[in-house]
Amino acid sequence: MATPAIEFSGVNKVYQRRFGGVQVAALSNISFEVARGEVCAFLGPNGAGKTTSMNILMGFIYASSGRSRVFGYEPGDVRAKARIGFLPENFAFYRYLNAEKLLRFHLRLSGRQLPDPAALIAGLLTKVKLDSYKGLKIGKYSRGMVQRLGIAQALLGDPELLVLDEPTSGLDPAGRKEVRDLILALKAEGKTIFLSSHILSEVEQICDRVIIIDRGHMVRSGTMQEMLAEDNRVEIIVDHLPEELELALQERGASVEREAHRVRIAVDVTQKRAVAEMLWAGGCDVISLTPMKSSLEETFLKLVASGGAQ
Amino acid sequence: MSGIAIRSLAIRTIALSTFGSFLRNKVILLFGSLFVCVVLLMMTPLLGFKAMTNADNAQQMQGFILNEVTIVISMVSGFGSLLAAWAAADSVAGEMKSGTILAVMARPLRRWEFLAGKYLGVLMLMGVYVVSMLGVTLFLAWLGGQSFHASLWTLIVYPLVRYAIWAAIAMLLVTMIHPILAMGAIVIVMTLIEVFASTVNHIPMWLKTPVHLVLPLTGLLSEERFMEITRASVKPFPWTNHLTALAYGLDYALVCFLLAVFVFQRRSLARD
Repeated sequence: MATPAIEFSGVNKVYQRRFGGVQVAALSNISFEVARGEVCAFLGPNGAGKTTSMNILMGFIYASSGRSRVFGYEPGDVRAKARIGFLPENFAFYRYLNAEKLLRFHLRLSGRQLPDPAALIAGLLTKVKLDSYKGLKIGKYSRGMVQRLGIAQALLGDPELLVLDEPTSGLDPAGRKEVRDLILALKAEGKTIFLSSHILSEVEQICDRVIIIDRGHMVRSGTMQEMLAEDNRVEIIVDHLPEELELALQERGASVEREAHRVRIAVDVTQKRAVAEMLWAGGCDVISLTPMKSSLEETFLKLVASGGAQ
Repeated sequence: MSGIAIRSLAIRTIALSTFGSFLRNKVILLFGSLFVCVVLLMMTPLLGFKAMTNADNAQQMQGFILNEVTIVISMVSGFGSLLAAWAAADSVAGEMKSGTILAVMARPLRRWEFLAGKYLGVLMLMGVYVVSMLGVTLFLAWLGGQSFHASLWTLIVYPLVRYAIWAAIAMLLVTMIHPILAMGAIVIVMTLIEVFASTVNHIPMWLKTPVHLVLPLTGLLSEERFMEITRASVKPFPWTNHLTALAYGLDYALVCFLLAVFVFQRRSLARD
């Protein structure tokens, strides 16, 4: 079996204040694996320990105990780092450089030998739509432009594993879609992607697997299908709903939500046929009838709100 | 390209980037400008003494002029030590404070290589400083009608080794404490060295020995040891003495740098 791209086993991280001896447990017994070629989302509310985990993964900080490996190497090992592209949360940069010079600097550090580095840099800047700003000093970039540049530098070494901490942070909807498409293209190329994000609808569209942590504890880990497990309810959308019919439906345990030009009715799957017939008989036009699924957001909120750390 | 060539390219890249950032650093530019102003101010009395010189007071005036030049040399040396320490402390602490270190250290770069690149960048800055200040000193001496009777290499290498010590000490301190505290500690050490140098005969042996072991003996690396500018003459100074003095300085700097690497290897690079 191939070595997993990322391996965390019983990782703990305790921060200790220098004076006063106060200990803060940032991570408690975190264990997970990310297989090669997988797109894995690492989710959690603010302060859950996502960035701490990513910093351990990159070798920026050391775990207090437990075992962590990247492609089988210790975090921070140059053999592992040579295969990683990393986008930190709030990507910081040398403000006096322009995009081209910054990428050239990072390319030299990556040790990647290319016959034409200028072509690679130009291609990456075009990919993140910064080609027309390549001469502008980065200090004058907007938040979104800096984030795009951060993504370009993460892709610079043609990495096998991309670790992206909030990749769509600061981007407008169009920019977010572009990043989403870029991640999907990288996924198609077989790259492993480990990302954190608060925009769960995007995560739902691009990720194969989800890991949720809260207050330093693992809450849940599973495939996206497992996370979006089917609900045992159906949603019926009708053009209108007379009030007497609404009361009758409520007696059958249905919930009704009125919108401007339609009405949404959620009902237990066992009542589906009876309710549909009632609606037809009541003169309502049934627009659609679909099985309901929990969104990732609903699952996430449910898990985090319940404080259900395993 | 071999592994060693790739590693040395990475260190050179960090060094050049560090040096480039110093040339754009507003604090360095401001202090550099202030220093030039001070040197220009020092030239006023120098030129005044020179203009007042006549056949009757020639020897006395020459003494004043040489005294002025000596003051400038001492200022250059003291300021250089502070600059070396500040540049070393800022080059590491600045990257950590701004967070730029994260993207850099995500590259296949070892922590000691990062620190070595930063240290080389500081030495490049100090090299430029030493050469520029040597030019200023020679110019002032020429104005005073004197010429240095010393090999130019000593006037470049000795201060550079001295600054290498201060840069390494600052780098060691800044891997452990806040840069402002590190600079405060550097100033205290500099003051202690001066105090011990001026009162060396009154210090008991139990105190003198540990001080000699711990504090850098920067007096050994002073140009004044082999150059007596007030008489514009050269003291006899064999090459073995040069060799041991410079080896002492380089060894001290290397020990401090290796300690800095040891501490940096274990510390957190991210803001907690």
